[in-house]
Amino acid sequence: MNTRSNIIWGIIAFAFIVFLLSPIVLLVIFSFTSRSLTNFPIEGLSLRWWQEMVATRQFWPALANSLIIGVCVAVVSAVVGTLAAMGLAAMPKRRASIIMGLLTLPVMLPPLVLGVALLSFYVSIDLKLGLTTVILSHVLFAQPFVILIVHARMISFDPRVVESARDLGATPLQAFFTVTLPIIQPVVIGAALVAAALSIDDFIITFFTIGTGNTLPTLVWGMIRTGLTPAVNAIGTLILLLTIGSTIIALQLTRYRG
Amino acid sequence: MESRSNYWLVAPSALVFVALFIAPMAFFVVLSFWQVEYFELSTEPTLANYRDVFVNYWRVMGFTVAVATATALLTTFLGFVFSFLARFRAGQWAQALLFIVLITLFGGYLMKIYAWKTILGNEGVLNSALMAMGIISSPITSLLYSPQAVVLTLMHFSLPFAVLPIYASMRGISDAEVEAARDLGAGRWPILSTVIVPRCQSGIVAGFSFVFLMVGGDYVTPLLVGGKITMIGNLIAPQFGAQFNWPLGAAMSLVMLLAAVAIIYLFRFLVALGSRP
Repeated sequence: MNTRSNIIWGIIAFAFIVFLLSPIVLLVIFSFTSRSLTNFPIEGLSLRWWQEMVATRQFWPALANSLIIGVCVAVVSAVVGTLAAMGLAAMPKRRASIIMGLLTLPVMLPPLVLGVALLSFYVSIDLKLGLTTVILSHVLFAQPFVILIVHARMISFDPRVVESARDLGATPLQAFFTVTLPIIQPVVIGAALVAAALSIDDFIITFFTIGTGNTLPTLVWGMIRTGLTPAVNAIGTLILLLTIGSTIIALQLTRYRG
Repeated sequence: MESRSNYWLVAPSALVFVALFIAPMAFFVVLSFWQVEYFELSTEPTLANYRDVFVNYWRVMGFTVAVATATALLTTFLGFVFSFLARFRAGQWAQALLFIVLITLFGGYLMKIYAWKTILGNEGVLNSALMAMGIISSPITSLLYSPQAVVLTLMHFSLPFAVLPIYASMRGISDAEVEAARDLGAGRWPILSTVIVPRCQSGIVAGFSFVFLMVGGDYVTPLLVGGKITMIGNLIAPQFGAQFNWPLGAAMSLVMLLAAVAIIYLFRFLVALGSRP
């Protein structure tokens, strides 16, 4: 009885893993094939699609844009989000959770609605569309993640260590840089990496707020719309490498488990 | 004094929130009452866009709500099964399962949809693999460009959003509670329906809401794997591009959001009703 149910749950677990991971794994495999059709049987492995990727004229500016936006979003939302998380952790619980709920609202909205609302807003206030508008938009939906992750660490943070630094004559800023920051640093860096992953992965909001120019996802979109080449798989694998790579490091740093 | 400085710490975040969320959304609502005349925005308030949505686009709106409801129900169910597996059945493998969910959460929205296109196509991965294995002799042509393909793809990228809140609430249930129910003679299903599901209510509703909102506003999935299938997102997006009718696009978006809120409240009511002791 028990072993039979174990087997059934094992099969269910396996099915879930295959369902979740196979599209991603296939994408990576097909970026290394030699033929231009993405199907079986795979006849040979090659780097030809990776070579085609680096030879694509629009690839380099798109990569540069993605990295610039990702780094700016990571830094800005880490600073803004960490400040907010510290403030929230010191507030009464109920009030803090209401404020956090509000700040999380942009994540609840469908990205399409957020994207077109931001686009019409930027145009109406004469803000020129470009990297800046993309960064602003990404900070809006990345900061709630930073706040949640850092806040989870801050509530288990012993305020007495800061108080003792203050008693010994440290100014609030000194106490922050010599006591608080070193303790929470790994979590803040982890949260910043999550913000970068979200930013690099975003397609819809970027598409509506960038005006002209490309990031990696909008470049992929253009390539998919104009015709399939496995070079798309290579760029996709690169995006996955960036986003999943930073997520894995972030998970290690924050020990965040759900 | 000390407590006031806590509010100053939140100020930058609040500024981002107000300037980039409250203000644009308020403008968006106002915009939905304007009109476009000769490629210019006319600020004369009118209900014409909403009338347009209900008269000309109710079919697409209804279809979108139906697809989103079906997807959200299925995904929430799968999310519950996955969470149950991770919390009560996986033992030391729970961490690994959650790790996989978190990885798929943050990686490759567009690439996941594109991957399903390559999997389900006539010359795609699934057909070619089945043919290579000799299971079928000619490709199954109905895999791609069907409502099933759309729902499957939507389920795939929204599953992590259902798992995380449900698993978080399931983690709050201690083994002792489940054992106590078992000791009192409750069988497998009564434990599930009287102990576990009621305790996960908030997680289940949160998961459903996340999935519904994300799916209801998606337009990339129908474009890539849906063929001629049109969801409301496919009508909204061009209003902000080639069609240039922002007010109509805003009205469509807001009606879709209101429909989503209504369905979510209905779902919450039904879950509460179903898990009353």
